[in-house]
Amino acid sequence: MDVLTLAQVGFPERMSELTLMHYLFVSAAMFAIGLIGFVSRRNLIIMFLCTELMFQAAGLAMIAFGRYHLGFDGQTFVIFVLTVAAAEAAMALALVVLLFRGRESLSADEWREMSG
Amino acid sequence: MIDAFTASDQTLDQVIHPVIFYLACALGAVGVAMALPRRGPTPRVFGGLAAAIAGGLVMLGFALRAGGGDGGAGGELPGFFFYVFAVLALGAGLRMITHHRPVYSALYFILTIVASAGLYVLLSAEFMAFALIIIYAGAILITYLFVIMLATQAPVADDEDALSDYDVQSREPWMAALTGFVLLGLISTMLFRGAGALPRAPEVTGNEALAELPRKVERALRRAPGGAEPDGGAGLIAADETLRRVGENRADIDLVARTAVVEGPGGTRVVGLPETLVSTNVEEVGINLLRDHPMTIEIAGVILLMAMLGATVLARKQVELEEALKAAQQRLLGDTMRARGEDG
Repeated sequence: MDVLTLAQVGFPERMSELTLMHYLFVSAAMFAIGLIGFVSRRNLIIMFLCTELMFQAAGLAMIAFGRYHLGFDGQTFVIFVLTVAAAEAAMALALVVLLFRGRESLSADEWREMSG
Repeated sequence: MIDAFTASDQTLDQVIHPVIFYLACALGAVGVAMALPRRGPTPRVFGGLAAAIAGGLVMLGFALRAGGGDGGAGGELPGFFFYVFAVLALGAGLRMITHHRPVYSALYFILTIVASAGLYVLLSAEFMAFALIIIYAGAILITYLFVIMLATQAPVADDEDALSDYDVQSREPWMAALTGFVLLGLISTMLFRGAGALPRAPEVTGNEALAELPRKVERALRRAPGGAEPDGGAGLIAADETLRRVGENRADIDLVARTAVVEGPGGTRVVGLPETLVSTNVEEVGINLLRDHPMTIEIAGVILLMAMLGATVLARKQVELEEALKAAQQRLLGDTMRARGEDG
């Protein structure tokens, strides 16, 4: 089935389990990369970017499962994930601006001395 | 625990050879740890190469099992474009966490997002692919870039010493990479073990939204070429006929036989749906969202409102200063007015 009809028909045919496993592996690897970055980087902005990468991995897994089961719940919940990611970005960046105004630094270690 | 492990005969072995998989995980951990930034000479190229070889090993392992020879999962492999987008997404993600400069990290993340959107299109989720690009690459990442440019000093050329310490020196790269890849190995093992036990998909594929879209179906029936009735005009249903509605917004359509019931002055009859009449991805997602998950929208609205309020409260400081200034000005204005009143 070529790409044009694929876009028109929506869910054309079943996806094999092996293909699903490919997508799930990409999703898991993306999540692991995000986790490694979150743990090892010290710049707050990069840390929040890494959480966005983990959100992205979760969304990919949901859409892949939705495609495998020929349903649309996965795509619906990716909308929800996007919402949460946007809300998280707004809060995180407000915190970053707050920290930078006080300390002139983006290091996560600066939060240690920041009480109240 | 042991029981749970031996109870099912589903194993990792069905999808990929375990030795290849765990070897690739170890190699990937070493590569990522080498590529993470630190002061002094960094074996970044070797790290990236090791990670790439690890990814290739996993894909090779998948492909070897694809033949379905000795108890393999079988099934066809994804197409060529899957590999292009997967390599782009993972490579850009890797570069994102290993780059010294936050601006480049954000740009590489945009590349990851665009590659993920490509994967979404391959999974026939077109609406989400475009929403992803618009929301993530267009809105969220631009906000990130703004904050990065507000909060970092412009570095001098390619001088690494000019960069802040927290950008150049990562915290325990070896432990972080080890943790991440142990987690990857465990998650993948669990996912692959259930491969043969997944429930099969239902036979009716897509197009379920058509029953909810009587107007679209009626319009398509009127415009369809080759009328069923010789004197019924151009469409499959005549001008004075209508699609039978069931309840508020459902049409009387048989999705399996692809037929619709039409009512008119001459009585009811059954019309076959045209081949080209299918529900699009946007219609399916929209109906799924509004019919099956209305609470999600409410919760999303509350979350967004809270985030907006929270961000405003957190970053309020400057507004407060302005308000204090405004209050002082008003007081001054009031004093002068009063003074004039006393004069007059």
